[in-house]
Amino acid sequence: MASSSELKSAALMDQMKLHLASDAGKDLVKKIGLVYQINIAPKKISFNEEIYVVDLKKGEVTKGPYEGGKPDATFSFTDQDFFKVATGKMNPQIAFMRGAMKVKGSLSAAQKFTPDIFPKPSKM
Amino acid sequence: MAMRELVTGGAACAVPGSSSSSNPFGALANALIGSSSKTQVPHPIHTYARIIDCYFLYSAVQERLKEIPTATHTTSGSNVYTGIGEPFTALPGSEFDHQLQPGGQGSEFLRGFRSADQNGFADAWDEIHNPPVHRFPLEHNQLQPEVDGPPQRMLSSFLHSFVNSSHGGLPFHPSPLPVLGLSEGDKKCIRDRSSIMARHFFADKSEDFVNAQVNALLSSLDIDNDIRAAGPLPGRFRELEEYWNDSQVMKPGPHAADGWISEFAQHRVGHVDPNAWAHSFEQQHGANGWASEFEHEQSQITTIDQMRGANIPSLAAMEQTRMLAHTLAQNNDPKFQNSKFLQFMSKMSRGEITIEDNQVKPSAYSAPGDWASEYQRQYNGGQSWADQFLSHGPHGWVNEFSTEQERHGSVDDQWVSEFSKLHVNDWVDEFGRQVGEGALGEDSADNWANAYDEYLNEQTTVKQRSETSRGVYVFSDLNPYVGHPNPLKEGQELFRKGLLSEAVLALEAEVLKNPDNAEGWRLLGIAHAENDDDQQAIASMMRAQEVDPTNLEVLLALGVSHTNELEQAAALRYLYSWLQYHPKYSTIAPPELADSLYFADVARFFNDAAIMSPEDADVHIVLGVLYNLSREYDKAIESFKTALKLKPRDYSLWNKLGATQANSVQSADAISAYQQALDLKPNYVRAWANMGISYANQGMYEESIRYYVRALAMNPKADNAWQYLRISLSCASRNDMMDACDSRNLDVLQKEFPL
Repeated sequence: MASSSELKSAALMDQMKLHLASDAGKDLVKKIGLVYQINIAPKKISFNEEIYVVDLKKGEVTKGPYEGGKPDATFSFTDQDFFKVATGKMNPQIAFMRGAMKVKGSLSAAQKFTPDIFPKPSKM
Repeated sequence: MAMRELVTGGAACAVPGSSSSSNPFGALANALIGSSSKTQVPHPIHTYARIIDCYFLYSAVQERLKEIPTATHTTSGSNVYTGIGEPFTALPGSEFDHQLQPGGQGSEFLRGFRSADQNGFADAWDEIHNPPVHRFPLEHNQLQPEVDGPPQRMLSSFLHSFVNSSHGGLPFHPSPLPVLGLSEGDKKCIRDRSSIMARHFFADKSEDFVNAQVNALLSSLDIDNDIRAAGPLPGRFRELEEYWNDSQVMKPGPHAADGWISEFAQHRVGHVDPNAWAHSFEQQHGANGWASEFEHEQSQITTIDQMRGANIPSLAAMEQTRMLAHTLAQNNDPKFQNSKFLQFMSKMSRGEITIEDNQVKPSAYSAPGDWASEYQRQYNGGQSWADQFLSHGPHGWVNEFSTEQERHGSVDDQWVSEFSKLHVNDWVDEFGRQVGEGALGEDSADNWANAYDEYLNEQTTVKQRSETSRGVYVFSDLNPYVGHPNPLKEGQELFRKGLLSEAVLALEAEVLKNPDNAEGWRLLGIAHAENDDDQQAIASMMRAQEVDPTNLEVLLALGVSHTNELEQAAALRYLYSWLQYHPKYSTIAPPELADSLYFADVARFFNDAAIMSPEDADVHIVLGVLYNLSREYDKAIESFKTALKLKPRDYSLWNKLGATQANSVQSADAISAYQQALDLKPNYVRAWANMGISYANQGMYEESIRYYVRALAMNPKADNAWQYLRISLSCASRNDMMDACDSRNLDVLQKEFPL
């Protein structure tokens, strides 16, 4: 199922979607049980954002703002930075310190947003 | 030196360490006592200051010694003793304010004071007064000061008799003294300190008595006793700190709190008015008084180099105020907390707190201005802070703190004992635990500390990495193959044997010799890709393409690497060029489309090509890569399987299949595909790393660690694998190995995680 998005992060989101259907993904839902909204901008935070909702309560990834209420935490990244954080190249705390990652909402929820949530892409 | 002993390891005091570097209290004492070994003659005012501090320390020591056996004082009793906040919290004021009982606390204090080793103190006293010249015997019973002798000695004896007068409960009889040559600053200092002292000595007496005593002292010294006129001074500040700290260590119930509050209010403005404190403070210091005063104090203290000991109190003050800010954060709404959070982190990032060897150390008040302005910005000057608390009324404020104490009982103890060890790393953990009131779990507190570590490490390596980021090849240092007669051949041999890292070196030597050798660059690129380094692979391949733009393998490799990096547009372009330059299929691919490519179109073309020659595995391979790009994984898997039927011994093809399956979360299939690839090429680093990823994605972290370690053993430069290893270690709760991972210690890791 092709995605029309140009963002790298879209690929990660798709992989996440598939991942959540698997056993490991179900464990993740059990472990975390929060709803994250992730705003990803191509070049500069908050400009032309693509919004994804990683719903770790239901176990699904959707595109577009969260409709079912308020997300537990909302993050804003650029495409590059989200990619780095999700693949573990950049630590979320460092990202936050540098301003590469903006957070809104519950701090404790935000703390649970770690690189190991996301499945890693394999290399051909 | 009795006092020193008391400080550095006397019976009742558990002070960790006796060297001044780790024991701030000892250092302070050393500074106070030991400074007499300096050749310069201490200025009387500084002498006085030291005397006062000696008194305080000594009396505090006495008090503590008495208190420790009694269980009524809570645990903070002995802990506070060891803390860096010692000079403040141990000030006599705190005890006295707790125990406001009638009946000569003052005399008891002095009795205790006296009952100690008088000779010891006399010695201390002497040392301060330059023993070689003035052997000044300590006469406790002396009520009248000596009025002759050098100004210094006079002053000290005068002051001393003032203290003594408190013992007898007798009013102090001022006698005129000759001019002592006290400067304005000195006078102010004396005034403030005397008021502090007097109040504590005579805490059981009436306020009037205290004032009278102080006035007597001051008039003799010809100092104006005008409290309000005092500008920002250490004395004033310390006083403030004292009282604030009283609230911190306050354990007993409201009665003591009330007493303290009323006394404080009295002292300030003579009537109990909740806002008076804030207002009077503001009057004296302006709306940002407290912060600016602190700033001022910092700069003042730096100029008084004799007060070496003061460095520690000011550091303590700084930490205390930080503590202050932090405790404030506890009391307010999450917004406040978050901003404090941000402040803390920005402080970290600014380097006000530096990291060395896994420990967070404060850089000695290098930016008091920053902190002060930060604080100001944060709290809108002292006013809002005062308002917030005063809105609850003075009692409310105290009650808040008292309840705060109950809720976070261990705060002070921990903080103080931590500072005594100067292990601020623990403080970071503590802070992490407290800010957000448990919002940060244990793990993340650790992560925080590690994160800062990483941050610094990153800073050093970021330069190195930035070069490879966009297609600039980074050559290895110390290449043994440079100068080899035929490095290309050597490289090819090594590659065939599976020694990828060695092959890389040989090939680098080749392209250094012959930069236009397309084959050299190409093979180098492939070696890097198989070594799981897409960055270098891309850099090499691009050089290869420069030399030979039509080489199909190069174009395919570039397409693959860019797909791995999720660089969709670039990957598409390269794959399309593959089609364009292919002798057979170039007709299918109209060149004018190259600038505006769409998946659908390109895919269609490839399918056409496949129909044209169904036996051409390469077409299927490229198609497979293309479908990966568009995330149509099923189609990609199909294409690869078709290609594999045609080329079953192509290890890289097996890997491609495996990766596609892994990315579509068919991890079990992926693992068997990888296994096939590894059977064909045992040193295929990429396949090993991919194995690790597949296990990790399934949540089998222990397994994944082993595969990562194996991959890294073959290529220690695979940065990706290091990061994934780290994640797996933390997921498997193997934080004990985290250091080995951070320091890239393969021996340890291999021993721990064999395959």
